[in-house]
Amino acid sequence: MTPANKRDLLPGTLDMLILGTLAVQSMHGYGIAQHIQRLSRDVLRIEEGSLYPALQRMRQKGWIKAQWGQTPNNQRARYYTITPLGQRQLGLQEAGFAELLDAIGRVMRPA
Amino acid sequence: MREWLARIVDWFRRDRLDAELREELEFHRAQLERDTHAGDDAVEARWAARRRFGNVTRVREESRDRWSVPWLDHLQQDIRYAMRGLRRSPGFTLGAIVTLGLGIGANAAMFGVIDRLMLRPHAYLRDAGRVHRVYLQYKEQDRQITRESIEYTRYLDLRRWTTSFSATAAYAHGAQAIGTGEAARERPIAAVSASFFGFFDARPALGRFFLAAEDTTPVGASVAVLDYGFWKSDFGGRNVLGEPIQVGNITATIVGVAPRGFTGVAEDEAPAVYVPITAYAGNLPGEDGKSYFIHYYWGWMNMMVRRKADVSVAAANADLTNAYARSWNAERGENRSLEAVSEARPRAVASSLRSAAGPDPGLEARTLVWVSGVAVVVLLIACANVANLFLARALRRRRELALRVALGVSRRRLVAQSFTETIVLSLFGFAAGLAVAQWGGAVLRRLFIGETGPTDVVTDGRTLVVALLAALGAALLTGLAPVFFGVRADVASALKSGPREGSYQRSRARGALLVAQGALSMVLLVGAGLFVRSLEHVREKRMGFDADRLLIVRRNLRGADMSDSAQARLGRQLLATAQNIPGVESAAWISSVPFWTTSAVGVFVPGVPSTRGLGLMTYQQGSTDYFRTMGTRILRGRGFTNDDRATSPRVAVVSESMARVLWPDANPIGQCMRVGADTMPCTTVVGVAEDVAHVSLAEDAPNRYYVPIEQFRPAAGYAVMLRMRGDPSASAERVRAALQSVMPGQTYVTVRPLSAVVNGERRSWRVGATMFVAFGVLALVVAAVGLYGVVAYNVAQRMQELGVRVALGAQTRDVVRLVVGQGVRFAVAGVTLGTVLALLAARWVQPLLFAQSATDVRVFGTVGGVLVLVAIVASGLPARRATRVDPNTVLRAD
Repeated sequence: MTPANKRDLLPGTLDMLILGTLAVQSMHGYGIAQHIQRLSRDVLRIEEGSLYPALQRMRQKGWIKAQWGQTPNNQRARYYTITPLGQRQLGLQEAGFAELLDAIGRVMRPA
Repeated sequence: MREWLARIVDWFRRDRLDAELREELEFHRAQLERDTHAGDDAVEARWAARRRFGNVTRVREESRDRWSVPWLDHLQQDIRYAMRGLRRSPGFTLGAIVTLGLGIGANAAMFGVIDRLMLRPHAYLRDAGRVHRVYLQYKEQDRQITRESIEYTRYLDLRRWTTSFSATAAYAHGAQAIGTGEAARERPIAAVSASFFGFFDARPALGRFFLAAEDTTPVGASVAVLDYGFWKSDFGGRNVLGEPIQVGNITATIVGVAPRGFTGVAEDEAPAVYVPITAYAGNLPGEDGKSYFIHYYWGWMNMMVRRKADVSVAAANADLTNAYARSWNAERGENRSLEAVSEARPRAVASSLRSAAGPDPGLEARTLVWVSGVAVVVLLIACANVANLFLARALRRRRELALRVALGVSRRRLVAQSFTETIVLSLFGFAAGLAVAQWGGAVLRRLFIGETGPTDVVTDGRTLVVALLAALGAALLTGLAPVFFGVRADVASALKSGPREGSYQRSRARGALLVAQGALSMVLLVGAGLFVRSLEHVREKRMGFDADRLLIVRRNLRGADMSDSAQARLGRQLLATAQNIPGVESAAWISSVPFWTTSAVGVFVPGVPSTRGLGLMTYQQGSTDYFRTMGTRILRGRGFTNDDRATSPRVAVVSESMARVLWPDANPIGQCMRVGADTMPCTTVVGVAEDVAHVSLAEDAPNRYYVPIEQFRPAAGYAVMLRMRGDPSASAERVRAALQSVMPGQTYVTVRPLSAVVNGERRSWRVGATMFVAFGVLALVVAAVGLYGVVAYNVAQRMQELGVRVALGAQTRDVVRLVVGQGVRFAVAGVTLGTVLALLAARWVQPLLFAQSATDVRVFGTVGGVLVLVAIVASGLPARRATRVDPNTVLRAD
């Protein structure tokens, strides 16, 4: 993995990615990072230094809940679950993001 | 908002969150190690993972930011800092807490009383802001009279002729014997119109309230609603609907129970039973019960109204006044001697349900308001004192503060710290104040409300809020002082100067605080002096009788319909029995009890065109020994004798004032007066008695006359006055038992020492004197301590200078004069300012005083002298220390 493959995230998309990931199922922090990395084929690499502060912030905003649980390997890990408030937030962010992509597309490929 | 709440919650459990995060990161790294380089060299894997993972500390710190709330951190630091500071100087802390506690406690306790008497809305009352009691006002001989009680007929008039109100109700409170036989007890009851309960959002705990059909003239239905507490205590809370209950002379059927905590609009004790007002009045024996809704002579009840939402109080009053004028004319139709509307100017006013907050609050309520003001002043003095202490400390710490500013502590933080300190102190003061209020409140309530129940300061939300506000206000006031005068210190000069150089500075602020304290103390002590003198005057005042060894016996017929002759017979029998009770020196049968009831009938005197305008003429009926029993002196002529019988020529004794008013130039003895109408036969004046206080202690010229009860209306003689040989309270029960044996059927007697009634009359002055003295002395002590503190501080700061003076040849006398002079100057300034304030307030205090000028030079002089004397003592102690200055030591130090 070379730094060249890494793409910086657009500002504000981290929350959306995390919420989108948690909308699938509850996960621990490591799982979230892995999930995003895997689905983006290693393009999106979540810095742990931004993941955990972001999780705390979203928990305080009431978008996600944190709960300690057991991994399949019987290890203790903190699992995050999306809340109804988080679902609504995800919807808003997705809509906003789609609009943004659309706008960028129109600028880059004028009809 | 929600996020902030979460952050604050997280702040409180930040230690746990830290630990959890550490575990989470630990887990993350372990997973990374396992996944990235499974199979590789373990050491290599760990390092690789650690590299990938980045700076753990940074992650932790950034996450931790999410639960660090900077101002909470600061607050916590400040509180710790404040607590440490307070612990370091326990004397200062204790002094400040006690001072603030007394101030806050005094205010909380006073508020508790004021709230009970004036402010607190009645339980369940809906939309209390639009509910009023109707008061009647009119002029009588240039005096403005305010009446709370009105006639039922008037109530009907006002209801009929006004449009401003969506509801009206009539109510009356009284005491009636409830129950039958041995179980009968005199209890407070309320007679209310059916509309009364509609003012409240109350649903009966059982059954129902009154129906309109049960409240009709002439006689309402015999139904009753029980008080919740009474129902629980006397009926065990069982289903009582349909059961009979004896209320006075009414045998009523219980139809409902009021909900828990419902007291109607009672000012003190909740009524035990409610009956329809027309049932109460209509069942009264005699004329009252037949004509209460037709005539205007019997004002016995109160009227409450609910103002329509779109009608202002002023408009409602105008409406009421119009209706009252109409009603006044209607009354004039049946009583020609009533003044015309243009003369009497009747006004009806919708005002507070609580009479203490109504248009004529009475002496006690007004005294109470003043005493509350005094409590506020005491708190102000306490604040000034604590501010002064803080200031002294701030000045002492000038260099420390300057150093901190120099080191980069922001001034805002310093101010915040200083405020935190005062707030912490005030909260301790608040706690101390609650203790003071809990204890003091009981004393105050006994004094003002005459209630001995347990106080509930600590559980009473309203009082708690007021105490807390007082504490925060005090914190603000005391905190402002160091902010304004302490932190302003110029960093450079403060740091440059050594402890010696420039360290003695007169502080204007501290001086001003001292003068303010002195002035406020002066005002309070002048108030104390005036009230104490008033109380002395009240005590010294000759009431025209000698209350000490008198017992009043009142008979209560429970509304039994007894003929006049039977009532007269009972009166004679009671008198004869009383005269034979051992220990009774003499007894008299009377028709009105001092300060309780009074009767007046017009008097017609040949040669005097109209006695109207000469003042109200009240009368008393008495049996032969009346004057001897009361201890009222006969100044001229004679009192009554056994020869003044029903059949003998009518005689009367008049009071000195009345004699002077009616026959200013002639000998009153032998004059003729006609009582009741000018067609009545002559009643011959046979004696002149000294003036007595009967309606109130403050009466100046009581026109009063006495007639033998057997010649007048013996049936009205409802009381017997007994002069005992010993302590009347001790024999009260024995007397009651002896006289009760004469009473027929359900009727009974009550016995009370007259001195209790008189003490009640003196209460407002006693309360004023007690409270002003207590608060005044408190203020004086606090101010004296403050003065001592300032002077002592100044002396300590001036040691250097004093040393130089002594070295240059100053004598002890000079040093003392220097130091004490400073204290005295503060005191004199305070006394001067206080005198001005007290003179300004004099106009308002005057009506509360008894035969005492509010600008009495002696009181002002004495108080001023005391203050200066206290100042001399308070500054004398530091002065003594100053005289011991050893120039050798002081000048070499530092």
